[in-house]
Amino acid sequence: MNDIAERNSDQLSVTRRYFLGQGAGVGIGAMALDGMLARRAGASDLGTSDRVPHFAPKAKRVIFLTQSGGPSQLELYDHKPGLAQLAGEKLPDSVRGGQRLSGMTEGKPQLVMPAHSTFQQRGQSGATVSDWLPHIAEIADELCFVKSMVTDQINHAPAMTKFLTGHHLTGRPSMGSWFSYGLGSENRDLPDYLVLLSKMKRGSDQPLYDHYWGSGFLPSEYQGVKLRSAKDPVLYLNDPEGLPRELRRGMLNGLNEINAIRQLQTGDPEITTRIQQYEMAYRMQASVPDLTDISDEPESTFEMYGPDSRRGGSYAANCILARRLAERGVRFIQLFHPDWDHHSRLRSWCTARCRDTDQASAALIKDLKQRGMLEDTLVIWGGEFGRSPAGQGKWDSPEGGRDHHPRCFTIWMAGGGVKSGVTYGATDDYSYNAVVDPVHVRDLHATVLHLMGIEHERFSYRSQGLDFRLTGVEPARVVHDILA
Amino acid sequence: MPSRCGCRKWPSVALAVGFCLHGWWGGVGAAEPVDFNREVRPLLSNNCLVCHGFDEGSRSTDLRLDTREGAIADLGGYSAVVPGKPEESALLDRIRGVDGVELMPPAESHKKPLAPEAIATITQWIAEGAQWGEHWSFESPVAIAIPAEAGDTHPIDYFVSERLKIEGLSMSRRAAKHTLLRRLSFDLTGLAPAASEISKLGETEDQIDWSKWVDTLLASPHYGERMAMWWLDGARYSDTDGFQGDSTRQNWPWRDWVVAAFNDNMPFDQFTIEQFAGDLLPDATDEQRLATCFHRNHMHNGEGGRDPAESRVDYVLDRTNTVGTLWLGLTLGCAQCHDHKFDPISQSDYYSLTAFFNSIDETGAAGGGAKPFLAYKSTMAQPAIDETQQVLDQMTASLDQVKMDAEDSFAAQLGRLIETAQPPYQPWTVIQPSAMRTTEGTVLTKHFDGIITANDSQAVQDDYFLEVPSNAIDRITGIRLEVFSDPSHNVEKYSYAETGEFILTNVKLQVRGRDDSSVTDLSLSRASASVEGKGADSKYGRASGTLDDDPRTGWTTRTKPVEAVQVVVFELSEPLVLSGDGVVEIALLQRSLAPRELMAKFRVSVTNQRGNAVRSLNPMPLQELSDAIVKKNESEVGAAFTVQDIPAGLRSKLKGQFLTDHEPWQIAAEKQQKAARQLNAAKKAAGSLNVTVLKERSSKRKTHVLVRGVWNDHGDEVEPGVLPVVMKQPEKKIQDRLQLGRWIVSADNPLTSRVIVNHVWQLFFGAGLVRTPGDFGAQGEVPTHPRLLDWLAVDFMEHGWDLKHLVRRIVTSETYQQDSSVTKALLERDPENQLLARGARFRLPSWMIRDSSLATSGLLNRTVGGPPIFAYQPVGVWQDQFMGRFTYESTLGPGQYRRTLYTFWRRSSAPTFLFDSAMRRTCEVVPRRTNTPLHALTLLNDVTALEAARTLAGKVLGQHSKAKVDLRLKGMFQAVLSRLPNEDELAILTREHHAAHTYYRQNLSAAKALVSVGQLPEVESVYVVDLAADMLTASLIMNLDESITHE
Repeated sequence: MNDIAERNSDQLSVTRRYFLGQGAGVGIGAMALDGMLARRAGASDLGTSDRVPHFAPKAKRVIFLTQSGGPSQLELYDHKPGLAQLAGEKLPDSVRGGQRLSGMTEGKPQLVMPAHSTFQQRGQSGATVSDWLPHIAEIADELCFVKSMVTDQINHAPAMTKFLTGHHLTGRPSMGSWFSYGLGSENRDLPDYLVLLSKMKRGSDQPLYDHYWGSGFLPSEYQGVKLRSAKDPVLYLNDPEGLPRELRRGMLNGLNEINAIRQLQTGDPEITTRIQQYEMAYRMQASVPDLTDISDEPESTFEMYGPDSRRGGSYAANCILARRLAERGVRFIQLFHPDWDHHSRLRSWCTARCRDTDQASAALIKDLKQRGMLEDTLVIWGGEFGRSPAGQGKWDSPEGGRDHHPRCFTIWMAGGGVKSGVTYGATDDYSYNAVVDPVHVRDLHATVLHLMGIEHERFSYRSQGLDFRLTGVEPARVVHDILA
Repeated sequence: MPSRCGCRKWPSVALAVGFCLHGWWGGVGAAEPVDFNREVRPLLSNNCLVCHGFDEGSRSTDLRLDTREGAIADLGGYSAVVPGKPEESALLDRIRGVDGVELMPPAESHKKPLAPEAIATITQWIAEGAQWGEHWSFESPVAIAIPAEAGDTHPIDYFVSERLKIEGLSMSRRAAKHTLLRRLSFDLTGLAPAASEISKLGETEDQIDWSKWVDTLLASPHYGERMAMWWLDGARYSDTDGFQGDSTRQNWPWRDWVVAAFNDNMPFDQFTIEQFAGDLLPDATDEQRLATCFHRNHMHNGEGGRDPAESRVDYVLDRTNTVGTLWLGLTLGCAQCHDHKFDPISQSDYYSLTAFFNSIDETGAAGGGAKPFLAYKSTMAQPAIDETQQVLDQMTASLDQVKMDAEDSFAAQLGRLIETAQPPYQPWTVIQPSAMRTTEGTVLTKHFDGIITANDSQAVQDDYFLEVPSNAIDRITGIRLEVFSDPSHNVEKYSYAETGEFILTNVKLQVRGRDDSSVTDLSLSRASASVEGKGADSKYGRASGTLDDDPRTGWTTRTKPVEAVQVVVFELSEPLVLSGDGVVEIALLQRSLAPRELMAKFRVSVTNQRGNAVRSLNPMPLQELSDAIVKKNESEVGAAFTVQDIPAGLRSKLKGQFLTDHEPWQIAAEKQQKAARQLNAAKKAAGSLNVTVLKERSSKRKTHVLVRGVWNDHGDEVEPGVLPVVMKQPEKKIQDRLQLGRWIVSADNPLTSRVIVNHVWQLFFGAGLVRTPGDFGAQGEVPTHPRLLDWLAVDFMEHGWDLKHLVRRIVTSETYQQDSSVTKALLERDPENQLLARGARFRLPSWMIRDSSLATSGLLNRTVGGPPIFAYQPVGVWQDQFMGRFTYESTLGPGQYRRTLYTFWRRSSAPTFLFDSAMRRTCEVVPRRTNTPLHALTLLNDVTALEAARTLAGKVLGQHSKAKVDLRLKGMFQAVLSRLPNEDELAILTREHHAAHTYYRQNLSAAKALVSVGQLPEVESVYVVDLAADMLTASLIMNLDESITHE
């Protein structure tokens, strides 16, 4: 039996219950239920892959700080001082190389817009980080910057789908689902893959599609469960008014017992799973509020994560939740912060997004480190693509912005077996093409799988007659140079 | 049993290729030759064709193993396969791993070496002459004659039992009467049967005429609704576009067309042709044009910056792929970027097929730009209008009642109002902040009259925070901000900016906890300003721009004459009662693009008056009352102002003011407004609608192969053409969509009939005879019962593509009617029930669970057709996802209880109560059936489920006395499951009911809370305790595995 089957059998050990009645009939249901709870799970549904993890993992869990919309590498990390001299000049065709543009700037002159921000070298490692991100700059020595990320999609939804599922069309499992499927959870009271969206009130019209954390062709028990930034973090979690917990418990006991009788009559193993899931639902009714009620956090937590962390549903508050989820052993925790799509007024907008995320992102790293959790927690910060060095709109006015750009962008990672204080890969003088050590999205996937102890080519799922992998069919490489 | 039959068992082959069971073409006897299609082709396909297949681009060498010619070709003195001579066949050396040659498949493919049994099969096949065959699904189906000795055995049972005999198995007994009753009802109508149906069937087995029950169900209008749910998933039907814009569509008349087509039993070939090309039929009717909406149901991309030309290409490809999946069972999408790797479909074949859809008169735009449209008026909207009109009348009546009921308490208050309004009355209380701070360092100074001044701090942007003293006022319903001009400001305007202007980007009212660290934002619903100007950036101006979090919008008075003071008033959505528990702060955010345009002199006041008082700058009614008192005092010195002195107009304003603060009125008014909006929408739905349909443009577009599938990278031009692999090109070339539709349902097409029969089989068995309903190609699974599939496919065509005939065929078989319980041994032998030695047991689709609980409880509204309704869904799902751009308002009145088919489907946020369903983004034909804790939570706590539980409990309680608990438990159980509980089950129900009853007897308010669910009427209090206990038990019964399962 492999690890997945073992995990399933762990989940079968549901709290024993006592009986209210002693009638003969009641006994049958209760006995049947006991028998079922002792039953071990069947074989795993792993496709052609072997037992996972394939080797000892460096990271036990992932926190993915997804910055949706395409943060500008030029303003934040990829410092190109030479662009100042080229301001307003046409981007040379030799650099552009016939690159496709989005509908927004196609047919318009491509004039260089130097970065609106200023840069410093940071810490011992001397990584360049923008002054717009003072807190991230402070922890630069903890981070591993990859400045040569490459994707092949130029519009948001396909690019984000690619970034998360390895393919630009919908229907493939998201990275978190792959981990849930392969590795499961360390916490039986919570789902393996949890998703947190920043509450923006307004100001963004970029929806975050459910398929970004969908399980695709994997069984849907592996899909990300979105904790909502609302009164009910999980839909339908709260029992109706007037139904106290002890009555719910009794009702579920009765339900499970009659189901157990039915299982004996029909022989259908699916009924046993159903009993388990009703039990998990009952446990989540307790574990989820405990998770999301952050009033037990000391004042210092909020000081560290910044003033916005007091506002429920904000990115900063979600960073605190991410740490709480990590503490509870959840395998894959994914935050989404939208509205990095700055086609115009980049200065004003981009700084606003930096304010939303800078302090809390840095605080999360510091917090994990303080708690000794950074070494086995992999944190990833990044969006679906970068932005073009050419200005969009009036390049020389505060109105100026940048169009989408797939040929290079920057992400960073921390903890979980990656080197700290390094910068990997580089772009050309324009931050247009990744020219040194390009890292394709699928290489990132291969690397993250590797850190979690999985060899990407041996981890697949058979669907519609094909063996699918997160890294797809084109060759992908593990970026060994950034592994600690 | 035909004599040529022979069966080989190849358990080892099955293991090698990962199949549990192979398709069975018939045949017994170990000496039979190897069947290429069944045994060899899957081995080649799984292990070799990625590099040696049809796709020229990825073929690594000259060797092809997808055709016999390729396999036996001379590769320079040797061949991969030499028919009859295994020892000379190079292929065998490669797969065996003989010294000196590379082992195939190679290590880098990450495929395991072939198992010895698989190699033995291939060896024997070569020895036997390496016969090749067409892939099974590309050969026309043939219905073999059923031998006379089979008698009147049902044809399905003949095929199934022949197979079982070989396996040494036999069919299970017929399912119990109530089980079969339920199974048929679910399968044919998607609804649980009424409890009374069972008694109509007859007592004993031989009294029951099942075919009569089948006919009844097939004649029900719910049959068409049930079948439509299947078709809508394949058609990726939705009420919105999808993507970022996600605009609402008006395509629901097409959905009603589908329901009617199924109910009228429109032959499937006609059903197909009308959806492909209703517009091209001679003298096309509106309904035939409407049918073509099928091919416009794909998503529309309205994302900013999206090139519509690219979107248009996506739509053409989506239609083509949908035809592949839904009608042909082919994964055509694989040929978008390269030749198909497994099936003989070239990229050029693929693009030739797209050509039929490439000249639609469309631009690729979304929303209102998504022409071509059919202006269509539906006849199905009237019931929605009638229903809603009734609801509105009720709501208006109850609102009037509330107003009348409130008159006494209002009159009693008038005296107190006069006291409050005694001069000098101050409707607004000026805030003297107990603390002030700013984000960027601007220094604020407070003056005696509440005026606050800011210094010239040079800050480009800044936020001002003012703490409201906890004793300032009892509650806050509105905020007033006055902004003063001053000679000391730049150009004597409002700020120290070069322009002298100010821009207020956001206003917030926040409560910070004193003991914990929570911060709550209170929502402001309205902003009314003395004047609105226009910023240098034209997005600035309107005061409503301060209500969002968007610094690109905000209030300014720029371009308007400078006044001594400018005023803006904000209304809170809900009053904030100042309890002293938290710190209340007013935040004035000034984060505009215009540098330093920060208010330099201002004053903030609050009020406790609701309604119009805080919706305009007009004097509040209380202020008017105060003015009236002053006036009377002036004219009649010494005379007291009494209630009689209030002018009628003012009295009515005061009453209005009173009502806005009166909770029963608020609730009634909200419902009344909701009903009015709903009626308005229903009336619109009855008008002319724009349905997206197909229409050719006047000049044809050229169609090209798209290199690597890139939308504007044109390769060779192609002509419209159908797939040569499916059937020979007819003599007369197929030119347009109409001919394409006819080709799809041509008797010579080997795929369509098989694919559709398989879909219908899947509906009733949970899985098809081909387990990959969307892939009948080489990578798909082979049929479990190929001869049965073929027989049904031929029978279907011979009966004029008659779907009801097909359905009747299937459900009258003993195969269908078997008991679905399974022994341990059989479960181990055949976990997925491929052999059909038992009935199908699977969880009902989530929509069927909802519809059935409505039906069982009696809540179901059985109206067919009409505009979409909004079933209960938790608050905030849309708002969260779309940042408030869309708000979900659940339907009031009987519309709420329409079937799930009619619920509004937002593409980016499917109805939340459908815990697993097709996504409706692209064509889906594989049912999603999962088992997660989220289902449990939905079925336990969804409002629909709770309302159904309460209604069922109420219905049964009404039939039996309060003392007869066991009769009620039995009654509810029977209503849901069409059978009585056994002794064990009844004992458990009784136990939990007793516990609930005991609790609610002691906790009456909890009982009341539980039964007050959704929009159900209040209950007389003598019934509350029983109803609550019964309702909880009803919920238990409705959550039973048996209740939500097709047994």
